[in-house]
Amino acid sequence: MNNITIGQYIPGDSWLHKLDPRIKLLSLVVLLVATFFIPISHELIPLVSMGVIFLGVMALTYSTGIPIRKVLNGLKPIVFLLTFTFVIQVFYVKTGDILASIPMYISLTSVLGIIIFIVFYQWSKKYVRFKIIYFFAAVLMVFVLQAYLPYVPFTSYTLDIHTDGLMRALFIFVRITNVIIMTSLLTFTTMTTDLNFAIEALLRPLKVIKVPVDVMAMMLSLTLRYIPTLLGETEKIMKAQASRGVDFKESKFKEKVVQIISLLIPVFVISFKRAEDLGNAMEVRGYVIGAKRTKIDEYRIGFSDLATLFISFVILAIIIVVKTI
Amino acid sequence: MGIQFKNVGYAYKGFKKSYDAIKNINLNIESKGEFIAIVGHTGSGKSTLVQHMNALLLPNEGNVIVFGQQLPPKKSEKINYLRQKVGLVFQFPEYQLFEETIIKDIMFGPKNFKETSEHALESAKKAASIVGIDESLYEQSPFRISGGQMRRVAVAGILAMEPEILVLDEPTRGLDPKGRTDLMEIFREIHEKEDKTIILITHDMDLVSEYAKRIIVLSEGKIVFDGKKEDLFAHPDFNSYHLDYPTPLKILKHLEETIGLPFVPKYDFTSLLEYLKEVNHE
Repeated sequence: MNNITIGQYIPGDSWLHKLDPRIKLLSLVVLLVATFFIPISHELIPLVSMGVIFLGVMALTYSTGIPIRKVLNGLKPIVFLLTFTFVIQVFYVKTGDILASIPMYISLTSVLGIIIFIVFYQWSKKYVRFKIIYFFAAVLMVFVLQAYLPYVPFTSYTLDIHTDGLMRALFIFVRITNVIIMTSLLTFTTMTTDLNFAIEALLRPLKVIKVPVDVMAMMLSLTLRYIPTLLGETEKIMKAQASRGVDFKESKFKEKVVQIISLLIPVFVISFKRAEDLGNAMEVRGYVIGAKRTKIDEYRIGFSDLATLFISFVILAIIIVVKTI
Repeated sequence: MGIQFKNVGYAYKGFKKSYDAIKNINLNIESKGEFIAIVGHTGSGKSTLVQHMNALLLPNEGNVIVFGQQLPPKKSEKINYLRQKVGLVFQFPEYQLFEETIIKDIMFGPKNFKETSEHALESAKKAASIVGIDESLYEQSPFRISGGQMRRVAVAGILAMEPEILVLDEPTRGLDPKGRTDLMEIFREIHEKEDKTIILITHDMDLVSEYAKRIIVLSEGKIVFDGKKEDLFAHPDFNSYHLDYPTPLKILKHLEETIGLPFVPKYDFTSLLEYLKEVNHE
């Protein structure tokens, strides 16, 4: 717990790192809108534009010098979603030419085979380097087993793979991947404090309708600031209670409840104390809620910032124009 | 028995590289009759060292042997019981209080080590009386007493486990002078009555010279001195340890320089006063 990093910022020196955080966030929003403006379809233009965006995103990743593996790791949490949408699309879209028609059997042998395969997968996945690809292969294998082990069948069905279904599945797959990579590029190249500043700056117009944007931003930055501190305190209390015989690893559920309480109450007390101290320290140094504050680092929007924003809007415009034609 | 360190090293894992907190530690601590002070700069590895003594940290290199149990342990071995044998009082232990009443909080430790409620209550009461917590406070909330009392309650929480070795990480930090001597007298009493080994981390050289018998000096994660306090303060390399002389010794040195009073090392104020009276009479 000594070296937790809040957010995913990877220090670097690329142009994307140097971009003004406000512009970066705004451009991301524009590009996300552009990505979602491309209609889900199996026609050529949307497919090509999605592919172009994918290539662009890849080029962007390359230009930042962030290892591509790290970026792809951002996909991990949604691997299941990706597979699920893919399978649904392949199964339920019934238009276009039939690419293949495969009889599938749910039989004693295939069910057994699948169970054995899943056990094997769970065991073997720790030895595989490319876990995501291995997962996709495993899902494919589940269907292959259904097709090739028809002995002692209970029931059977036919899987018709249509070109449209396959195209749409691919399309959605690439779109989600694009969105994830774009957003992770933002978090990889922007420090949390800068991100916080960007959010504050972009939400500033809401002040007109009396939303206390600056107070919320201050709260957010203080919260982020105190996560490592409180984790450090929690670790200390954990050790102190471990010295009193609390065994956080091996104990029954009933004991666990008491143990969690022995951790929660001290941390709660400490965080209140800290909050009070911090509040006093801020007031002593002249913090007044809602008063105008200056910054130690002022951001200035330069040429490259404007150019980035311009290009993002151009991409959005092109996609809208192409869509309406 | 007791605690042995054999070539122990421990490194905290950083983001990219790891930081050696302690390295090449060789140490032998008896389970009875020692009063050890561990001194050294902030960041010299004192806290890391003592956390190895009750298996809160497990060594990266080498072995620690605590009451016959080798650390790091084999996979199936449980090490929780060591924390009953070696009681560790952390810095600012008052933050670990959480129960509704003081007596319940003191009982928490013994109960965790599967003592019966009656026995836990008994040892809790005993521990409370050792640290001077009055019976009328037993049913009070531990959050409604003064800071000094909270610390005593926390210390009692460890004492109630009846550890064989007591390890104290800066127990007097943040206390006023009176609270400091009171607490140290409690430890001295435990040490003298029950012949328990006490290990003390502190920055206060006056406490070191008054109470400790053996001193371990840590510098940048290594033991640079391990021996009797008499030897330490007379050591030719003393200045290289970046430590301060305790006040009685400073006074004696000053008197030697200014009025030529013969220098006889005295480690606490009472014996210093006696010595001065003696010299005065002659």
